[in-house]
Amino acid sequence: MGSEGMPRPPAKILADLSVMIGGQGGDGTLTVSDLLGRYFRKIGLYVYTSRNVLSRIRGGHADASVRASIHPTAAVKPEVDVLLAFDEEAANLGSKELGPEGVIIYDSSVFTLSLPNSYGFPFATLVGGQVGQPIYKNTAAYGAVSVLLGMDEPLTRGVIEERFQRRGAEALQKNLKALEIGRRAAFGVPEIPGHWGVQHGEAHDQILSIGNQAVALGFVVGGGRFFSGYPITPATEIMEYLQKYLPPFHGVVRQAEDELAAINNVIGAAYAGARVMTSTSGPGLSLMTEGIGHAGAAEIPVVVADCQRVGPSTGEPTRHEQSDLAHLAHLGHGEYPRFIIAPGTVLECFELTVEALNLAEKWRLPVILLLDQALCQNTVTSPPFDAAKVKVERGQILVAEQIAKMMEYKAYKLTETGISPYVPPGTPGVWAEITGNEHDEWGHVSVAVPNRVQMMQKRMGKMVKAQNDLPKGNFFGPADAKIGIIGFGSTTGPIWEAQELLNGKRVATRFYQPRTLFPILVHEVDPFLKSVDICYVVEHNYSGQFANLLREAVPWHHQKIKSVVKYDGHTFRALELVRAITGGA
Amino acid sequence: MVQSAKPVQPIWCPGCGDFGVLAAVKKAANELKIPQHELALVGGIGCSGSIHNFLEVNGIHALHGRLLAQALGVKLANPQLTVVAAGGDGDGYAIGMGHFIHAFKKNASIVYLVMNNETYGLTKGQASPTSRIGFEGNIEHPFDAILTSLSIPVPNFIARTFSGDPRMMTAILIEALQFTRAHRGFAFIEDLSPCVTYNDTYKLWREKVQDVSKLQGYDPTDRQVMFRLCQETREKGKIPIGVMHRPSESETEEVGLEKVLLPDDLGPARADISIEGNLAGYTKLLRAVT
Repeated sequence: MGSEGMPRPPAKILADLSVMIGGQGGDGTLTVSDLLGRYFRKIGLYVYTSRNVLSRIRGGHADASVRASIHPTAAVKPEVDVLLAFDEEAANLGSKELGPEGVIIYDSSVFTLSLPNSYGFPFATLVGGQVGQPIYKNTAAYGAVSVLLGMDEPLTRGVIEERFQRRGAEALQKNLKALEIGRRAAFGVPEIPGHWGVQHGEAHDQILSIGNQAVALGFVVGGGRFFSGYPITPATEIMEYLQKYLPPFHGVVRQAEDELAAINNVIGAAYAGARVMTSTSGPGLSLMTEGIGHAGAAEIPVVVADCQRVGPSTGEPTRHEQSDLAHLAHLGHGEYPRFIIAPGTVLECFELTVEALNLAEKWRLPVILLLDQALCQNTVTSPPFDAAKVKVERGQILVAEQIAKMMEYKAYKLTETGISPYVPPGTPGVWAEITGNEHDEWGHVSVAVPNRVQMMQKRMGKMVKAQNDLPKGNFFGPADAKIGIIGFGSTTGPIWEAQELLNGKRVATRFYQPRTLFPILVHEVDPFLKSVDICYVVEHNYSGQFANLLREAVPWHHQKIKSVVKYDGHTFRALELVRAITGGA
Repeated sequence: MVQSAKPVQPIWCPGCGDFGVLAAVKKAANELKIPQHELALVGGIGCSGSIHNFLEVNGIHALHGRLLAQALGVKLANPQLTVVAAGGDGDGYAIGMGHFIHAFKKNASIVYLVMNNETYGLTKGQASPTSRIGFEGNIEHPFDAILTSLSIPVPNFIARTFSGDPRMMTAILIEALQFTRAHRGFAFIEDLSPCVTYNDTYKLWREKVQDVSKLQGYDPTDRQVMFRLCQETREKGKIPIGVMHRPSESETEEVGLEKVLLPDDLGPARADISIEGNLAGYTKLLRAVT
């Protein structure tokens, strides 16, 4: 309870709340968001945090928001309940999203506000005076928010201990002192203590993770042992997690000199028989396009995780978009098969990374794991990842005993499925030629007819023959609903919430979340579009890239497909989707 | 024994310098008794990059300029393989320059064989990064890969050979293979390999090559000495050949790329990746996420 005595009982208990924290880069907004996220998870709530930062180390406006709810959520709450502002810009920007009962807490050592329900505390001055370093002001502000929300004091301290214990005793003590300063200041303002309470939830089995971490874990558990990448926002964390996770499992992680090297490093390692992956974002993907084509032509299994951000060119490195899809579907010069698979939740990031590794090796081709900034970097509660459920399927990799029984080994043997059994170099008694040039079954360069035709059909045919092996889509909502919604990746969260809101308005919708985006699974898409009168395809790009791929795949449904697009760098809010759907229905 | 891919007829013009390299590779592999299945040749794009098609070993034909990046992946995934990357001067010093320089600092135990003919032969004789001024209208200064590599203070093996001197070439290639097979680091050999069709330099080069080991003060463990000797030889209108840097035994690699793997580690390609074999480790890893 702290030294401040018993607060009055809260006026209102929140079951779904949103805290927005804004300031300059370096003010520690992400730290406060992380602390609150950890706290809410510990009281059994579902948590979703999002970030809005600039591509610079310090300075510039940065904000983060934490949503906590008794119900599962993977979307930003339409209205902010608590705004924590470290500067005036953050107060002005954030107050536009504030709900009618929303409260602003701000650092009055920096600026003053005259808005209703706003309370200023001189966090920087107080902490500077008593701890010696004003940088701990964010922890003091976290303390003030904890009083406003009637948060449990030992648990509030506990998450600070959890987060800062690795930084050493001094940093921990200073943070705890700053927390106390913030709490004491808040108890001094009669309106703050017990202003609100937060309902406890039952989601105690959940973990808190981000897509990038889930992909890294999925890679390790899925048998991935060689990774090479080049730092790029918002994909870098995949490499950083793997640098930590992979070495104990005899894996190798390399930071390459550029993305050209990264993709070719993994091609070399896959050729040698390792399970491999690289990760990147738009600009790096453009460079990797050359190598992915080589993997396609030479039938080398590589997984490329693309964490999409705003494009084209360097675009907006820290902002969200889903605009690489069209490029990926038509990736590279010439024609070669590739699968594009798209997880929609953090758990699916784990599961589909395993699946991507399996598919690449089984079908011997490049697989794109399509992600987006919000999915990669926003923290969300998720069911825990389970290694025991994972299946490692390597396809037809031949070992010495099998080879001993063979008359001949052809690396590109023509088969019914188009898949040629593979023997990695180093296998006694056998060797092979692998090439991205057109080749015959032996891997010798060839321009012969009909060999060229047979080899094209062998490779391209995989996209048809693999259809039943590719990740199936998810369906949500009543099967008889006449309004359809299609969305992939992180749009699943806002779409689920929009479905709830529409339900409240007695508008029934059915949501199809495809998890294989290319090739388009016509056997899924066609019956779905048949079942609805109209279908909104929700995506973060200008031209409606997935809608266009659908129109190409099932042209007979052309009239039903309506694009709902957003390309301002921010994720959809559920209310925007509700407006798009009710406005157009 | 199972029938593997048979070598095909070389695409090279009769008399091409690359035949000398092919013969040296066969001879060296034979002499060192490297099992065919343990040798992996990574070829670049261009006439020289097709060399792996003419040998009974594992071959992978990489993208133009990317052979070193692929060779690195092969070596790190299976350190037991003997990895030789082979390509031309355009492949290595133009489109592949970034990977070329980084290969020295990465210092993985790969032999990199550049067949330098000072032209783009396969596309019919354009100027390359090593072409002399005036060749096909070239007005850029020729690039000297040996001087560049000598300026990188990493314990690499560095040499230049000449296809017209097969004995020296074979001896140097054997030494380079031994160096990498002992996991001592990167071995770079630039072979002067005339293009008989577009830049027939046999006669010219035979007159100009200078065996550096015959020069006074020759000391391949001392980069500064070798840099000076190479420069002086060039200034006299000669082309230095021979071993340019041979790290002394005390100059062993401490931080090179393969050191990420323990000596007894099978490497990523041969690690046990079964769920059963790793379940305890995986469970611990996943439980740490809260």
